[in-house]
Amino acid sequence: MTDVLEVKNLKTYFFTDEGVVKAVDDVSFSVAKGKTLGLVGESGCGKSVTAMSISRLISPPGRMVGGQILLNGRDLVPLSEREMRQVRGAQISMIFQEPMTALNPVLTVGFQIAEAVLAHEKVSKKEAGSRAVDAMKAVAIPDAEKRAKDYPHLLSGGMRQRIMIAMALVCNPAIVIADEPTTALDVTIQAQILELLDSLRERYQLSLILISHDLGVIAEVAETVAVMYAGKIVEIGPAMNVFHNPKHPYTEGLLRSVPRLGSSATAGESKGRLYAIEGSVPNLLHLPNGCSFAPRCYKKTVECTLSEIPLEAVDEGHLTEVRCIHA
Amino acid sequence: MPDVTEPLLSVQHLKKYFPIHRGVFGSVAAHVKAVDDISFTINKGETFGLVGESGCGKTTAGRAVLRLLEPDGGTIRFDGVDLLSLGKQDLRRKRRDMQIIFQDPYASLNPRMTIRTIVGEPFAIHAIASGSERDDRVADLLKTVGLDSSVMNRYPHEFSGGQRQRIGIARALALKPKLIVADEPVSALDVSIQAQIINLLADLQQQFGLTYLFISHAIPVIEHISTRIGVMYLGKLVEVGTSRQICTAPKHPYTQALLSAVPVPDPAARKQRVVLRGDVPTPINPPPGCRFHTRCPIAVDRCKIEEPPLRQIEDGRDAACHEI
Repeated sequence: MTDVLEVKNLKTYFFTDEGVVKAVDDVSFSVAKGKTLGLVGESGCGKSVTAMSISRLISPPGRMVGGQILLNGRDLVPLSEREMRQVRGAQISMIFQEPMTALNPVLTVGFQIAEAVLAHEKVSKKEAGSRAVDAMKAVAIPDAEKRAKDYPHLLSGGMRQRIMIAMALVCNPAIVIADEPTTALDVTIQAQILELLDSLRERYQLSLILISHDLGVIAEVAETVAVMYAGKIVEIGPAMNVFHNPKHPYTEGLLRSVPRLGSSATAGESKGRLYAIEGSVPNLLHLPNGCSFAPRCYKKTVECTLSEIPLEAVDEGHLTEVRCIHA
Repeated sequence: MPDVTEPLLSVQHLKKYFPIHRGVFGSVAAHVKAVDDISFTINKGETFGLVGESGCGKTTAGRAVLRLLEPDGGTIRFDGVDLLSLGKQDLRRKRRDMQIIFQDPYASLNPRMTIRTIVGEPFAIHAIASGSERDDRVADLLKTVGLDSSVMNRYPHEFSGGQRQRIGIARALALKPKLIVADEPVSALDVSIQAQIINLLADLQQQFGLTYLFISHAIPVIEHISTRIGVMYLGKLVEVGTSRQICTAPKHPYTQALLSAVPVPDPAARKQRVVLRGDVPTPINPPPGCRFHTRCPIAVDRCKIEEPPLRQIEDGRDAACHEI
C-alpha cells in the first residue's frame, strides 16, 4: 500500500508572551491511498494545528519548528511560499467547520468553485465553470447548473458544506483534510455529509484526514484512528483496535464517558452515573513532567512523571502504538 | 382528573410566534411559528428531555415556560399557579422556584463580576441574606457544585468551561428552585467534562429533589438523563414517551430517522440508516398538513392536507402521525 501523505515528527510551537506553547509536539502518521485517518481529541489537543501545519497555514506567533511532511514522497517543508501555493488547494485541500464563514458572501458559489480551478490549471473560464458544475453534481447538489448561480446565503448549511466539498475536490487533490466538517450541522444533515464523504472517497480513491471531537463521527468513517492529548498522539491504530480495545487510559476514559444511544434498554429508568475522567485538560504552557495525562490518570505511578513517555507498539502485529508505560 | 398528584409543570397549547417586520414602517409581514401549540407535563423529581434539531423551537419552548419570552397562547401551570395570569411582582416572586442554566458558560457569566457577586446575585435580587451570611451561603453553593470556596474573589475568565458551567449551576441553585430549565448545558463542553457535569446534575437532582426540563440536540445525552422525552420538529411535538420507549423503539418516522442518524462510537456498528432527504423547511411557511411530510419516507396523500394531532398510541406514549 502506498502512503500518499506521511507526517514525520511534526512540531508546531506558538511563541507567546507567556511562553512557548507546544501545540503539536512530535506527531507522526501516514495516510494510504483511498483510506481515511481519523484524528480525534478535545479542544486544544492540537488536531487542528496539525491540519494547518500540513497545509502550511500557521501564522505567527505559531511556527513549524521541526518535522517532515511527505506528499507522495516529496517533502513539502523546504518549499517556498510560491511553490506551496501550487500544492495547497490542488494537491492538498481542506474542508472547514463553518461553511458560512468559509464562503465569500458576494460571489456566486459556482464562481467560487471555478476560481479554484483557474488558480491551479490553465483552462478557459468556460471550462472552469463547467468543471464547477460537474463537481457540484458529484456532491449530489440537485439542479447544479441553476444552483451554481446562487449566492451562499441562499443555501442551507448542509448545501453550503456540499459546496465546500465540491471546491475541495474540483482539482482532484491527493489528500483532503476535513476539519470538523459536520460539527456545525444538525444530526440528520451530518449523516448525509458523512455518507457523501465516504462515497466520494471510495469513488475517487481519495485519501482523507477527518478531524473531529466526536468519537461517533470518527468511528463512522475512519480506518485508522489517532487520539491526541495535549499536543501529542497518545494512541494510534486500526479503528477496531482503538475503539474495541483501547490501550491508553485516556482513550479508554473518553470512550467510557460518552453516553451511548440505547442505554435505557438495559439500565432501566435510573441509568446511574457516567464514567468521568477527573480534572481538566492541562494548560499547554505548564505541562507536567513526563506523561501529560498522568495528573488525571487512574493508572498513574511515579514512573509516569519521571521522563517523556515514548509512543510504542503494544501488540504482536505492531498495528497499535500507545504512549503509556502501563499499556 | 384521575390522578391525584398534580404535575409540577403542565404546559397546554403553548404558542410563541415571532413577527417578521418588513419595509420602512416595519409592518408585520409574517410570523415565525417557533413554538406552535405544544403540550406536555413534568412530574416532580422527573427530568423531561426536549430534543430536536436547530430551529425546531426547543429553546424557545424552554424560555416561554419561564416567561423569559412572553407566550402568544396556551396555559402554563406551575406548582399550582397559572403562570400567565401573574403580574410582574408575583412573577418575580415565583421565579425563585424556577431557574435556568444556559448553554454557553462564557456568555452567561458577567466578566466584570467576581464569583461571589455572580452566585450571590439571586440573594441580592430577592433581598435574602446579606453580608457574611450571604458569603457563607455562596461558599456552600460552590462546595455543592464541586468548587472550592476560595474561588469567591476570582473572575470568570480564570476558569475553564466546565468550571464556569459549575458556577452557572451554583447560581441556579441559590434560591432552592423546584424547576430548572437546562438549555444545552453540556453542548459547549469537551467530552471528558460533559460527563462530569451530567453526573453533577444527576447528583443535585437526587440531593434536592429537583425537576429538570432538559433541552438538547444530543440524543444520547438526553436519553441518559431523562425520564421522559419529547421530540420536536418545526415547532411541534411529534412524539412523547419514556426515555426507553423513544430511544429503543421510536414510532414516529422523524424520531426513527433522528435516532438512526446518531453516529455510534463503534466502527463495528456502521449501519444502514434512514438518511432523510433534503433540509428542514422554514418555520415561517411550514408545509401544510403534517410538517414532516416533505421528508417523510412513509408519507401518504392525507399527510399533505391533514395535520395529525398528538394522540396516545400506547401506554405512556403519544405520537403525531396518521400512519402509526
